[in-house]
Amino acid sequence: MSPKSNQHQADSTPKARTLGQLNDQVGNWTRRLVRPAGVHRGAGRMVVALLLAVTLFSILNPRVFLSPINLQNIAVAAPEIGIIAIAIMLIMLTGGIDLSLVAIANFSAITISTLHTAIAANDPALADSLGVLIVLAGIAVGMLGGAFNGFLVSVVGITPILATLATMQIYNGIAIVWTGGSTLYGAPAMLSSIGEAAVANIPLLFIIFVITAVGVAILVNRTALGRMIQLEGANPLAARYSAIPRRAVLMKTYTVGGMLAGLAGVLFLARNPTASADYGSSYVLLVIVIAVLGGTNPAGGFASVFGVVLATLTLQVVSSGFTAIRLSSYEYAMAQGVILITVMIFDAVSSTRTKRPKKSASSPTAKDSPAQPALTRT
Amino acid sequence: MDLLRRLRGSNNEGVLALVLLGLIVAMSIANPTFLTLNTGFSVLRSSIVPVIFALGVLIVVITGGIDVSFAAIAIFAGYSTVTFCLNAGFDPGLLGIFAIAMGVGAGLGFINGIVIARYSLSTLIVTLGTQGVFFGAMYTFVGASYYADLPGSMAALATTNIFDVTTDTGRAYLHVLVVPVILLCLLVAWVLKRTMFGRSLYAIGGDIEAARRAGFQVKRTQISVYMMVGALAAIAGVIHIVLSRSANPRDLVGSELDIIAAVILGGASIFGGRGSVIGTVLGVLLVQVIKNSLLLVGVPSAWLRTAVGVLLVLGVGIQALAARRDSRRMRSIHEVDSEQKQEQKVGS
Repeated sequence: MSPKSNQHQADSTPKARTLGQLNDQVGNWTRRLVRPAGVHRGAGRMVVALLLAVTLFSILNPRVFLSPINLQNIAVAAPEIGIIAIAIMLIMLTGGIDLSLVAIANFSAITISTLHTAIAANDPALADSLGVLIVLAGIAVGMLGGAFNGFLVSVVGITPILATLATMQIYNGIAIVWTGGSTLYGAPAMLSSIGEAAVANIPLLFIIFVITAVGVAILVNRTALGRMIQLEGANPLAARYSAIPRRAVLMKTYTVGGMLAGLAGVLFLARNPTASADYGSSYVLLVIVIAVLGGTNPAGGFASVFGVVLATLTLQVVSSGFTAIRLSSYEYAMAQGVILITVMIFDAVSSTRTKRPKKSASSPTAKDSPAQPALTRT
Repeated sequence: MDLLRRLRGSNNEGVLALVLLGLIVAMSIANPTFLTLNTGFSVLRSSIVPVIFALGVLIVVITGGIDVSFAAIAIFAGYSTVTFCLNAGFDPGLLGIFAIAMGVGAGLGFINGIVIARYSLSTLIVTLGTQGVFFGAMYTFVGASYYADLPGSMAALATTNIFDVTTDTGRAYLHVLVVPVILLCLLVAWVLKRTMFGRSLYAIGGDIEAARRAGFQVKRTQISVYMMVGALAAIAGVIHIVLSRSANPRDLVGSELDIIAAVILGGASIFGGRGSVIGTVLGVLLVQVIKNSLLLVGVPSAWLRTAVGVLLVLGVGIQALAARRDSRRMRSIHEVDSEQKQEQKVGS
């Protein structure tokens, strides 16, 4: 508990004697305040990182980095990666992982492009008027892909990393066969106009990203499903004893993940009206990096949507900042890895320090899970 | 019955061998040109690099970890060794080249190992990070140019065959590098089966805490495992450069997941504690044979990824369903315990 919450509770005690209800309200409110603070591992850290990155590059090359075009580029490039990162965060929350998200996104983009081209060949006007339907079909394909992952993980019982490794190959393979390995051109005109539109100088794509993030945050923090997802990841055994329908929860999580990936596929097309099977192959691992940087616990149970959004922005800022100060994308790849490992080490060190202040020097390995079964047996 | 069980193998190697055999028979019936020495040798040749990678992955997977940085280590070690030799203008001979590359690879593996063991972090995430670091470092500090001329000893090795048979379908070559790969397989199998070190890998993969309490030096073993993976990857990297007769820094990276898929197909458990060299080799061979036969049947090679994916779903799915049936039959507190542990391991 942070000192902030204690303060609030101290403030609220006199009121609590008079109005029990108010006490509950304040209690809820403080808890809500503390909740992000509890997840601040990701969010708070990333706020600092983002500010640091922005300041650093603004000082190093203000003319290029702070130019409106560059800022707009960041805001246009971030959404597609960010939405996939949010999707993988949601799945990592259950203790799983999904390597197939990028393949699903491409699949969705290819579906939309193919449908559009097929309809437009006969009647271009019809294709444009059906734009919404075509886009929805793409998202539905994403949901289907996610549901199949969910089926493999929850009903068949395959480990998530293997199931999605396999489906990644399957989706990607089908996409390669479908497109014949070439790039498809053509997308509903609606999408291109979304890709170019801006509200008050903020690109519409970025607004879609923020809305999606808020939606997922509500799903995770305010709904029963979100609670169950968190509990399932934090402690599967306790979740089972609490009669949480494991299969249904996993199924829904992976389906939502697939849907988000489908949405990301739509954004691919909005940015650039081309679709191919191997677009964004570097995203597979990048989104895991983003999710972990954003404070997602790879073992499940803890994540922060806000943290993931900030992590996405930070990496985008670092990426375009590196370009602004003329460093190569390879140096960016290196920086990405160094940032990830530094953050992980920092986390590990600080968590062992808070958990066991004395023994941390002697044996940091023995701290968590493996000790439990051994204890129950003796 | 007993014989049957022995033939099946502890990790279903027998089943895998049967699948492989069935595929070969089916392909030979479908297309007579499949069953030739030529095809066999070319499958073996294309398996050389994946098998060495797979051996490295197998070792990590047995300890319950996963490594996605091995391809980056391989190309880093191979490419930087070649660059060094070309720029310094001296040829240390084959052994020298392999030694330098293995040193570099083991060094990079040491970085993986020290981060993972010292801070007990998730192996997937750490190696994801180091993959980017190694790859970026190679481009930034070593260079990005493509070398078509290799040092003399490597260039000579590229065209050395042990067998050179003329058959009625054409000439068939068996590349000399198949020999060291077989030796390497035997060595790794021996280490895993017959040495204390090998057994400690299975122990750590089975239950890290139990292994620690049994007196295994868990951290030291983990570090040496990642160094071994680095060294193996470096060998594969050099061999890849030799076989492709050019040093291209863009090669190899991106194929990590395919190798891991082959190892899992070979019966190694992603939770650790299970896996064998025979199974791994069969897994790699199966993928290579599928790749080869798809082409011969006239199916576009684009289907390869799908085929491997479907195979992976089937292989792992059947195992998972069987495991679920078993656990339903006898559910005790221990069962629940181990299930919980497995689920916890999933994320790591």
